[in-house]
Amino acid sequence: MIQKSIDNTRRKIVQGGLVSAAAAVVPGLATAAGKPIYYGVSGPFSGDRAAYGAVWKKGMDMAVAEINARGGIEGRPLELLYQDTQSDPKQSVPVAQKFVDDDRVIAELGDFSSAASMAASPIYERGKLIQFGLTNSDPKFTRGGEYMFSTAPTMQMDAALMADITLKHLGKQAAVFYQASDWGDTSQKVFVERFKSQGGNVVALENYLLTDKDYHSILSKARRANPDVLVLISYYTDGALLLLQAQDVGLKGKILAATSCYSNKFLELGGGAVNGTVMSVLFFPEDPRPAVQRFVKDYQARYSETPDQYAARAYDAVKIVAWGTQQGGATRDGIRKAFISGTSIPSLLFGSFKFDAERRVAHYSESLITVRGDKFTYYS
Amino acid sequence: MPEFLDPLVTGLINGNAYALIALGLSLIFGVADLVNFAHGSVFAFGAMLGWYFAAVLHWPLPAALAGVVVATALLGVVIERVAVRPLAKAPRIAPLLSTVAVALILDRVSQLLFTPDTQVFPNLLPNANFQLGDIRFGAADLMMLAVTLVSLLALWLFLMRTRLGRALRATAQDRDAALQMGVNAGGLEALAFAISSALAGIGGVLVGMYYRNVDPSMGFAAGIEGFAAATLGGLGNLPGAVVGGLLLGVIESFGVTWFGGASRGMIAFGVLVGVLWLRPGGLFGSSNASFAEPLTGTFFGRGRPVTLHRWQLVAIFVAAFVVLPLAANAYLMRVATIVVIFAILGVSLTLVAGTAGLMSIGQAGFFAIGAYASALLVKNHGWSFWMAMPAAGVLAALAAAILIVPVLRLRGHYVAIVTLGIGAIVVAAILNLPAITAGPLGITAIPPPQLFGIDIVSPRAYYVLAALLLVASVVLVVRLQRSHLGRAWRAIREDEVAAQASGVQLAGHKSLAFALGAFIAGVAGSLLAHQYGYINPEIFGVDISVLALTMIVLGGMSNVVGTILGAIVLVGAPELLRPLGDFRILTYGVLLLLLIRFRPQGLWIYR
Repeated sequence: MIQKSIDNTRRKIVQGGLVSAAAAVVPGLATAAGKPIYYGVSGPFSGDRAAYGAVWKKGMDMAVAEINARGGIEGRPLELLYQDTQSDPKQSVPVAQKFVDDDRVIAELGDFSSAASMAASPIYERGKLIQFGLTNSDPKFTRGGEYMFSTAPTMQMDAALMADITLKHLGKQAAVFYQASDWGDTSQKVFVERFKSQGGNVVALENYLLTDKDYHSILSKARRANPDVLVLISYYTDGALLLLQAQDVGLKGKILAATSCYSNKFLELGGGAVNGTVMSVLFFPEDPRPAVQRFVKDYQARYSETPDQYAARAYDAVKIVAWGTQQGGATRDGIRKAFISGTSIPSLLFGSFKFDAERRVAHYSESLITVRGDKFTYYS
Repeated sequence: MPEFLDPLVTGLINGNAYALIALGLSLIFGVADLVNFAHGSVFAFGAMLGWYFAAVLHWPLPAALAGVVVATALLGVVIERVAVRPLAKAPRIAPLLSTVAVALILDRVSQLLFTPDTQVFPNLLPNANFQLGDIRFGAADLMMLAVTLVSLLALWLFLMRTRLGRALRATAQDRDAALQMGVNAGGLEALAFAISSALAGIGGVLVGMYYRNVDPSMGFAAGIEGFAAATLGGLGNLPGAVVGGLLLGVIESFGVTWFGGASRGMIAFGVLVGVLWLRPGGLFGSSNASFAEPLTGTFFGRGRPVTLHRWQLVAIFVAAFVVLPLAANAYLMRVATIVVIFAILGVSLTLVAGTAGLMSIGQAGFFAIGAYASALLVKNHGWSFWMAMPAAGVLAALAAAILIVPVLRLRGHYVAIVTLGIGAIVVAAILNLPAITAGPLGITAIPPPQLFGIDIVSPRAYYVLAALLLVASVVLVVRLQRSHLGRAWRAIREDEVAAQASGVQLAGHKSLAFALGAFIAGVAGSLLAHQYGYINPEIFGVDISVLALTMIVLGGMSNVVGTILGAIVLVGAPELLRPLGDFRILTYGVLLLLLIRFRPQGLWIYR
């Protein structure tokens, strides 16, 4: 099975080579045929957050393989230069300088955490190199400069949506659990304000550290407040663990989780405890749109697993930057101009979209899903 | 009532885990006179192995537990043989650093073996939930309690009733005397490592069952908690370690219930610092524990000192200020800048830990105060960088002078743990004071320094700025070391009682060393903040304090040139090892281990 899929990829790459060779003959298309185009990727490929980096790499490698199988960009193959930063600013800053100084690199993707990404932003900005944030939901990220773009919905938008969904579908007495991080804290404030202004009541508001493994104390405290809905402003690991331990302390209620909990790992870690969790997601593999279905099928064939949102975001990011390269030319400035002027940028997650004044996706729609029988399905 | 009982039960169960870790740390401390920084990693490795046996190989609980005990005990023996015993005659700080390297290696190996993912620990016990009134507890909770008690009892019987146990106690009490009585101290040390590591392994499995999950990087935090628990009870005191663990668990649990999860570090370490302030030997430690031999003193200066000639100094200057900026590309300049900033942090510690012999693992706290003060003054109050940077240093120094009061009566390992606590408290305070520091949000868009209206942003310019400040701090530290003050500090390091008898005022001199060190650390923090342009509390964790200490130990403790070399190796090497990919951090750990093995007195010796 695996052997077969590798063979297929190889065949496609060979075909791609033929196409680009053919393109080289056609005058006008023949700029630097064969000389690769490079994007840099700065991300957590080792350390505490290596699990996210591993999924990024899968999604990105697949996008590159697809692009190259179809003849690359203007006949030139695309290559990614991965640099491990452990999502540590001490390392992402020199990596930023490395990419900025490398004339071959015409765009950069990542980093993962706010600290690692935003400490590197000034260097990308001064180097006039696009820093494309896949996961940077902090609105301050794209305010860091004219070269910061992001396809991640901001935490404000996400949190407001969470409040609306909770009130509409789940309950009015909420116990809110949030990470004590920039993302968790901002989201919590937006959620609480919106939830209260629309008639909801926050009966428990508990924070925790990302490194915490034990939540029994805050969970038993919340249990005594008798909530009817649990709201998790969490990543998938801590979200699943919170629900597992909630079961242990006897805390019950309907559950709403932030979109970052949408991962197979959430199901795997949480077991039965995550059943019934509702979340609103950008990417869902059962989404009937043909582009999504094709992506899911190819991903399964390549890696023998169903892609999660991080894989989809990573795949999409490479595709979007490649579109910019195609449109604006294979230069740092070309990609930026293409992004600014593009009014219908094709993408997997947003259909066709444009970047707004904050260099984020102007409009997007999400799917409401839930966990039933140990898998994600549409919520009805 | 439940609002009181719930946290109590949770705390006691969590405290069990701390107790098991603390027990092992205390035993090793007693026998080998060493704080084993790899202990947390052994705990995490045991947890991962337990998961592998139970979830992948489907072994039943007793088999999985036995497998983990055997494997971690062996691991303990290997650690003792490879990283500790060869350093028996080295300065006492060397094996400590060597265990830091082992921790790095073990965590990374565990990630490569088991993947970095968090794994669900299978439910190995019937999912019975008992309810007593309004308190709930599961089978795993009872199991945990039972295993801790049985382990403690078995250890107690072993120590009290067997010849080997008596030999262990004798070695812990007086190693030289035990040797003369024909006790094989080396073999006993291996035994202590085996027992402790097995306890940590058991702890790992139990915690996995209780938290329902394990991951390869859970060791560091657990090790720190265990260290805190052991110190709370009195290092080397085994019943003390158990009580310390339970107490820490309960206090944390109440703290989290009342003040929220983000306050965990502040509460745990606040209590620890408070207790040691009142009782310098811990709750159950003998009070003269605080007069134990200094960690760095007596054994100083082994090996041949290296002296720098004037022409060599000139050559270094030319290399740093002419050759490097001209030859290096911007990426290398950026790496060099970060190396220089961390070198300044290391130099700040040279004075405290090297010259005055106060083993501090809290320097990141003053680094953070400097960074935040400078960032906020420039960004929100319109100060110029040139005013804000020294102000940041002064604020860090003031904070140090106040915070360091509990340390003044302590010596050796107790200084280490309390300063570790102070560093953690500073970061927790930044996290929990959003009105001033923006809390977890961090501070964005910190303006770069300006000179004559021009931003200093190019990698070269910033490097030169940082390097000049490094030179300034080196000159300051060297002049202080050579002054009358420096002699007084060295006297304190070598023999506190003698120093005091000769009229050296201990508290004042120690405070001054900390304050001056914090001033330099604050300046380094300011440089970091304006280089990154964005700071948040995550950047100033305990790992940074440990890094600073590692730098100076590697450099030979009190020598600034060695410290700079240490910074080049420790901060620069991970960048230079980049081509190794997955094996980068592993190689870094192995290199560190080898460096300590063959150069235990540090890279640079100096009187």
